[in-house]
Amino acid sequence: MRRMTCIAVAAAMAATLLLAGGRPAGAAESINLFGWSEYIPQSVIDDFTKETGIEVNYEMYASNEEMLAKLFSGATKYDLIQPSEYVIEALTKEGKLEKLDVVELPNLKNIGPEFRGLPHDPKLEYSVPYMSGTVGIVVNTEKVKDPVTGYRDVFQEKYKGRIVILDDPLEIVTWALHTEGLPPNAVNKENVEKVKPMIATWLPLVKVYDSDSPKTALLNGDVDLGIVWSGEAALLYNENKKFQYTLPKEGAHRFIDNLAIPKGAPNKTGAHKFINYVLRPEVSVKISKEFPYTNPNVEARKLLTPEERANPASYPPGNPKLDTFRDIGENAVLVDKAITDLKAKSGA
Amino acid sequence: MRQESTAFAATVTGRQRPPGGTGWLLLAPLLVWVVAFVVAPAAIMLVYSFLKRGTLGGVVWEFTLDNYAAVADPTYLTIVIRSMVFATITTLLCLAAGYPVAYLIGRASEERRNLLLMLVMVPFWTSFLIRTYAWVTILKNQGLLNSVLLGLGVIGEPLELLYTRGAVILGLVYTFLPFMILPIYSSVEKLDGALIEAALDLGAGPLRAFARVIVPLTSPGIAAGVLLVFVPALGIYAVNDIMGGGRVDMIGNIIENQFKGNARNWPFGAALGTAMLVAFAFSYWLASRRQRLAEFGR
Repeated sequence: MRRMTCIAVAAAMAATLLLAGGRPAGAAESINLFGWSEYIPQSVIDDFTKETGIEVNYEMYASNEEMLAKLFSGATKYDLIQPSEYVIEALTKEGKLEKLDVVELPNLKNIGPEFRGLPHDPKLEYSVPYMSGTVGIVVNTEKVKDPVTGYRDVFQEKYKGRIVILDDPLEIVTWALHTEGLPPNAVNKENVEKVKPMIATWLPLVKVYDSDSPKTALLNGDVDLGIVWSGEAALLYNENKKFQYTLPKEGAHRFIDNLAIPKGAPNKTGAHKFINYVLRPEVSVKISKEFPYTNPNVEARKLLTPEERANPASYPPGNPKLDTFRDIGENAVLVDKAITDLKAKSGA
Repeated sequence: MRQESTAFAATVTGRQRPPGGTGWLLLAPLLVWVVAFVVAPAAIMLVYSFLKRGTLGGVVWEFTLDNYAAVADPTYLTIVIRSMVFATITTLLCLAAGYPVAYLIGRASEERRNLLLMLVMVPFWTSFLIRTYAWVTILKNQGLLNSVLLGLGVIGEPLELLYTRGAVILGLVYTFLPFMILPIYSSVEKLDGALIEAALDLGAGPLRAFARVIVPLTSPGIAAGVLLVFVPALGIYAVNDIMGGGRVDMIGNIIENQFKGNARNWPFGAALGTAMLVAFAFSYWLASRRQRLAEFGR
């Protein structure tokens, strides 16, 4: 899923090299796109080039932090990046993003109201939601018969050695904050200390930590339940309906991956054209079909088949309690340390 | 025992003639390579380890010793020790499995030797990550191995193979075995058969001949193999993530997380890296010093 496996990156890189070799050398207009791996269908990029004549140099990353590192190394001047919501907030704070020219983005109207007015970019001045998703519970209902509706239900002694979770310290801490009834974005020393004992009881039950492809362990039958990205759960559901996705009743993380233009981008016009192109319903729906996350483009959603719209991992029913992440600054260090400590103890 | 000590003598004693003008010219590409890809990165790492964390990754140019204070934490000590235990087990298993193979290849006839050597190197034609994922398909719950064992009726329930410590060790041994075989092979190849015969003629049993003649004569290969396996095995984290389920962190995971994880704490990652480098260089220096003393004392 979103941080996908390195194999696919390697394969994609090899493919890019081959393509690059076959391309006629010319001074055609181009944009440098730096996006998540396994997130933008090649057909969308090809069609954009066909229509506009703008070449897209597509580079991929596997984590927001990797993207930041390469962005600020300055080796390549990127025109478009694809950060998650809390990274948009951090980048904006530091003045590292270009303000978007709304006039050039008429298709921005397709973005649904629930993706507007969010704290990371309340007026969508610096970022446009590309795809969204949640972090929730997926259960192999053939193996797990009891209802699993919240974090506490997952982390039970009887599921020891049958659980996969994201290898992501901040995610784990926010699950515990939700469970304790604390606000998920109140990540500070006091609260982290408060939830540590609970996490200490959780981690020894976990069999696999995987942020790249948590579906693999579930699909292979090595684990029976887990807390994963919704896109992964949607793909599992498409594979076999026995994989059911639920959003934890205590509350869950809604992540939003966005398109944004870094400060000093050489081809801002081209970047705007690409954003506007992707916002077209008929283009956006192609992305949804390949990567079944929650599409923030409401017009594109209408073009999905009823079956695709009924996938509970892509479009969770009901009115779940969802929060986006905020930039937690320095506190990220203590989150990382807390989980490292607890993991070191649990794995002993 | 002249032959035995040559490999170490080349690095630890000053008995060689210093290189002349042509010598330096021939050395230049290697020196450039070493400076660009070993010295410079290590220097950057050292400098970064004394700076402060930047909010969006990177560093802020303010001097601090906090990163080293954070390194001296019992958790990291536990993790380093665990990584060393894994690396040691891997090295010993590679030695046990690799020595006989290297010996057989080294003593085989020339055409068979080339074929066998090629077989050792064939895995390198495929990406290391792809080979590691291949192990997942073999070891997983409904994987190749479990299916075969179930089909043969050897077991009634699938064995828990993947995401265990055993799986991590298996993955590490598999990854590093060629690095043990190749240097030992090159020592075995140079082995003088007459010396072994002499040992046997003079009344040494096969075991004694092996322990007193063959092992000492191939010890440069063993030393090189041990280094080539132990050092990378200590730092590698991909095998642990893919085959171990990332359940226990190795020191490599911790360092990686400082750059590619939530914390974005480059200076701390650099301090951990520097500490590992210093610890390793120091133990290497101790080991080679002891070796030198042992030789002089002989």
